[in-house]
Amino acid sequence: MEFKYIVLILSMLLMVFMLYKEINKTKKARLFWRILASILAVSCFALLVIPIKYNSSLKQNANEITLITEGTHPDTLARVSGTKYALDSSGSKSNKLIFIPDLSYFLATHKDVRKVNIYGNGLPDEELENLIGYELNFHPSEIPTGIISANWQAEIKTTEQLTVQGIYQNRSKKNVKLLLKGLGTSIDSISVDGKSNKSFSFKTRPKQTGKAIYQLISFQGQDTLAKEPVPFAVGEQTPMKILILASFPDFEYKFLKKWLYDNQYSLAFRSQISKNKYSSDFLNMDKLNLNQINGSSLRKFDVLIIDEEELAAITPVERAAIDNAVNTGLGLFIRISNSKPLTPLSGRFGRVESPAAKDKQLNLAIKNEQYKFSKLPLEQTLYLKPSQNDQALVADASGKILVNSTIKGSGKILISSLSTTFNWLLAGKINDYTTYWSDILSKAARKKIEVQTLKIVPQFASVNKQARFIVDLSTPGKIPTLKIEETKLAPRQNIELPFEWDATFWPTRAGWNNLSINQSNESFFIYEKEDWLALKNQQTLNSTLNFLDKSNNKEAKTTTTAIIVQENLSPWWFFMGFLIASAYLWFESRIMDRK
Amino acid sequence: MLKTEGQNWIHSLRMKWITLHLVLAFVISLAIALVLSAVAVTLLHLPLLISAVIFAVVLVTALFAYPIWKTKDRDFCRYANNKYPELEESADLFLQNPAELSMLQQLQLSRIEHRIAQIGGPKEPLKRLYVGFAILLAGILMSFAITKIPQVQKVYQSNASKHEALPVIKENIPAEISDFSATIIPPAYTGQPERRQKQFSIKAETGAKINWTIETNIAIKKLKIIFNDKESISLKPINNERTSWFFSKNIEKSGFYQLDLDGKKSDLYQLEAVADLPVTIKITQPKQHTTIDIGQPQRITLKAALTDDYGINDAFISATLASGKGEGVSFTEQKLSFNTRFNNQKNIALSKQIDLKSLGMKPGDELYFFIKAMDNHGQSSRSDVYFVSIVDTTELMSMAGMTNGVNLVPEYFRSQRQIIIDTEKLLKEQSTLSAAIFKTRSNDLGIDQKLLRLRYGQFLGEENETEIGGDHDDHDEHTEGKSEQEKFGDVTAIMDKYAHKHDIAEDATFFEPEMKAQLKAVLTEMWNSELRLRTYKPQEALPYEYKALRLLKDLQQKSRAYVAKTTVKTATLKPEKRLSGELDKITQPVQQMSAAQKDLRTGNLKIALALLESRKSGKRFAEVDRFLLSDTEKYMIGAAADNPATYLNALASLRRLSGSKTLQIKDVDVVQQAIQKMIKGESARPQIKTALPASALYQNYFNNLNRAGR
Repeated sequence: MEFKYIVLILSMLLMVFMLYKEINKTKKARLFWRILASILAVSCFALLVIPIKYNSSLKQNANEITLITEGTHPDTLARVSGTKYALDSSGSKSNKLIFIPDLSYFLATHKDVRKVNIYGNGLPDEELENLIGYELNFHPSEIPTGIISANWQAEIKTTEQLTVQGIYQNRSKKNVKLLLKGLGTSIDSISVDGKSNKSFSFKTRPKQTGKAIYQLISFQGQDTLAKEPVPFAVGEQTPMKILILASFPDFEYKFLKKWLYDNQYSLAFRSQISKNKYSSDFLNMDKLNLNQINGSSLRKFDVLIIDEEELAAITPVERAAIDNAVNTGLGLFIRISNSKPLTPLSGRFGRVESPAAKDKQLNLAIKNEQYKFSKLPLEQTLYLKPSQNDQALVADASGKILVNSTIKGSGKILISSLSTTFNWLLAGKINDYTTYWSDILSKAARKKIEVQTLKIVPQFASVNKQARFIVDLSTPGKIPTLKIEETKLAPRQNIELPFEWDATFWPTRAGWNNLSINQSNESFFIYEKEDWLALKNQQTLNSTLNFLDKSNNKEAKTTTTAIIVQENLSPWWFFMGFLIASAYLWFESRIMDRK
Repeated sequence: MLKTEGQNWIHSLRMKWITLHLVLAFVISLAIALVLSAVAVTLLHLPLLISAVIFAVVLVTALFAYPIWKTKDRDFCRYANNKYPELEESADLFLQNPAELSMLQQLQLSRIEHRIAQIGGPKEPLKRLYVGFAILLAGILMSFAITKIPQVQKVYQSNASKHEALPVIKENIPAEISDFSATIIPPAYTGQPERRQKQFSIKAETGAKINWTIETNIAIKKLKIIFNDKESISLKPINNERTSWFFSKNIEKSGFYQLDLDGKKSDLYQLEAVADLPVTIKITQPKQHTTIDIGQPQRITLKAALTDDYGINDAFISATLASGKGEGVSFTEQKLSFNTRFNNQKNIALSKQIDLKSLGMKPGDELYFFIKAMDNHGQSSRSDVYFVSIVDTTELMSMAGMTNGVNLVPEYFRSQRQIIIDTEKLLKEQSTLSAAIFKTRSNDLGIDQKLLRLRYGQFLGEENETEIGGDHDDHDEHTEGKSEQEKFGDVTAIMDKYAHKHDIAEDATFFEPEMKAQLKAVLTEMWNSELRLRTYKPQEALPYEYKALRLLKDLQQKSRAYVAKTTVKTATLKPEKRLSGELDKITQPVQQMSAAQKDLRTGNLKIALALLESRKSGKRFAEVDRFLLSDTEKYMIGAAADNPATYLNALASLRRLSGSKTLQIKDVDVVQQAIQKMIKGESARPQIKTALPASALYQNYFNNLNRAGR
């Protein structure tokens, strides 16, 4: 304000001085014009320094605000008139956006707002919650190019496969090559045609033990479009314990025994040699009395492999013990060779006999995994009937099932009519043999209950954005201590699920971080802000659109009122005036006077 | 003496001429020198300085070939007279002393002196200069093209044979070494000349001798050469200053080595042994299985192409002839040589005509053969086995196939055949034979026919004819009794006496009724035939004989399904006694084993992979990690000793990684790739799946649902 007055006073003085000079001039010709020009020049000069503001009335909805979010195109921004708000402070200054630090607070303080126009990618879920009940008008920006959805296992076990799946959305006209790279080698790639979406699924068996960051790299020609990190961990775990009860020893058992023994699995093998006389092997484990099978001995094992003859031959008490153990989680694998079921447990599966194929070769494949085994030289006549409660695991080329499974209680029962798989080993197809038995034993084995699990929300938690941990604990009731690098978090218990706790935090460091939950450590990965950008944008777009769909968007009553907007008069006008006036004065004094 | 205008003109003409000529000489010799030095530098690998020498030589030669400066003004006068008619053959006047000129000469001189102003300079040297510049341009182009020749050649050579030379690897050579060379002396059999290289990475034939000569710029106390990080050999200096060193070694196996100069170790250098491959044999003709049908020439043309990397010493065909059938197969082995000389060629195309007859091959025989070749290192290799067989035509006509099913009575069939043949023979010879002989022979045939009939009768259980040749008259023997032959106490004899012994009934029961009927029909035909033969009408007997044969054949076809009767009698089982033995003495065997902890190699390598991954994100190696890294290095040294080409780079990168503080992502990548190659053939293992915690709640749900379901 002071500055304004100083300028005014100074210009008044200047004007007085100039007028005095003009009037005191000997020549009185065009005095009026000169006085006028002097007044104009000084006043224009003054106004050039002091900006002039005027109030203009703008017809705008008082109950409506315009919210600009990330991804709004500058052209769109220019077209939108009226007051614009933004939740992001970074671009608000240059684009004349009014920054809203907190949307819920803003809405609470502006009770008259009923309608929100949203431009750009939209708002994330947690912000959208604030807008329930408001009329929304969403102008989405263009959908992004890049990976718009992706998923993989955060943790796998040794020798398990890592599957990276997702969708690539290509909006450009040119092809994009997508490459999965890890541990210094390129693993797999696909090419996405221009203007198309393509889903991808890369499978690999990572060789490391521990954490690794693979990369999904998208190329267009020689240009790298994006490099997205794919962090995961490979963990070792204690091998499962297996019990085999055989009515007679055969080669199938012999090879299976050897393979498991070599891989340090604990294995107990019992085969009958005469009535109530058994031969038993204990591999990688302590001796055990196996003459009588009971609940306590079964509890020590994760899988029981038995042939149907043996299952029929054991005493009813033992059978009941097995039945009970399966109900409480034991995996049971029954080998059958007869078309008629001998026990009720194995009779849960239907059997069918069909003539052997002409070439006498069995083409097997794991269902749901597209893994094809090499041929087995077998004349297989016994197959299993699919039924509603079963899940087929292994079938031949024509879809006839050889290994079937069902659940019983919290355990699993698997049944197989395949008698000799060791032929794979003899033919040198070690990979087929190990894949078959790994798949089957993994499916059957008793599940190990974890002590705690950690989930992080959102999927791609990035630096300096709020993230939330969800921790499941096996021991309910006690408040867990959550710590990130000596920073203690305050967990909140889920009202409905007492074992679930969550805590919010703001990650500061990208990469692998550790969360200590009651002294034990869990690793999680924090992404950079630029990682998976296309995916995040697409997610906000989707969630905003979903939110719009869900909220039955009622027309809120809006009134248009003229609101007064203060605007600056362009200083150019005054400059022009100043220029003209001073030009006249100069011209007059130099040329007209000379005449 | 003041020069006249004319003199000046002539002089300037000469100067101009000489200048232009010198420029021309310079340009042309530059062009020639360019081409020559391009050849010398790029093709003959001479130093660049040679081009200056070449240029000087060429220039001097060019100048002295045409010494322009020796020309005199007089020569130019002559030239001017020839060239410019305006001078009216009077240019000589310019050169003469004007004072000595006659009146007329002076007049003429003054006439032409006015004209010389109008005469322009000579055009000829200028033209030649243009030509000279054209030559220079051509020279520049040519020399440029010549410099490109090695590159083109390289591309061509690398296309032709990629293994020829070691790819030039940039090597870090210790600063102490001023000069070095490795001489590779390949083993004699390869026929390769010895070569010298100025590179420590060596690729040589297996068994090659390598001589290293190393010159150092300072005296080294101890120079060692370390092979595969294990074998360390101290070198002996050649000279007293201890700056010149020599070492020699035969290489049998790939690996790597490094130099140790007073404890300062150099980089690792690759040592690759290229093994001599055995001869590859490709037989283009005949096919693997060849059958020679009747009418085709009984010979085969064998064509084969043999290749070896150093030379083929010998090759021959090993042929085995299999003749005969069933158990009577005999094999004869023969060695056939190619009638060519082997002069250690690398490639040879062989062809040979094999006459199967001369090998002693008959229809039905098979010939197995393969080519065996030796290379000049004494390694032998052999081709696949090829088969040639000649179709046996008699096999098709024979009856062997018919007898295969049941080999019950083969000779009888032949007999029926024989009877037919004999009958036909008898009829043919009828005219030459006397009636009595004819009749006896016909009767004999009738007897034969009877015998045959009796044999077949056996199968039908026909009575009274158990004994061939026995007559029905003998039937009465037991009624009359021959007591003198009776043996006392012989029960069977007494039994025989009172029993009417027919043939064994059991034998007659194993034919189906249908078959029996047909057999009967055969017997009827035989009867009819016998009747005609006995009544000396062989001509009439013939149709019956044929019919009998035909029926027999049919019968044989039918009897193929026949399975001979077995007489196994087993004792009946007593189920109540089964598995009721005393078992208390039987012990129950119990075995207990624990798999020895496998070597930690794979596990350590896997952890090392993750460690390197964490290093990638900028994390420093901890002290514990160093142990793991040194283990990894140990494994990698082992791998590199076998496959230096694959693992040597990685080993160097690994050493850099563990040594230096600055991180090179590329090094990590290289090491990770190598480690992944080292963890080979890892197969799937069963893994326990995990369930979420909070089992108590889920267990409650489960129990309640179970109860509700009941």
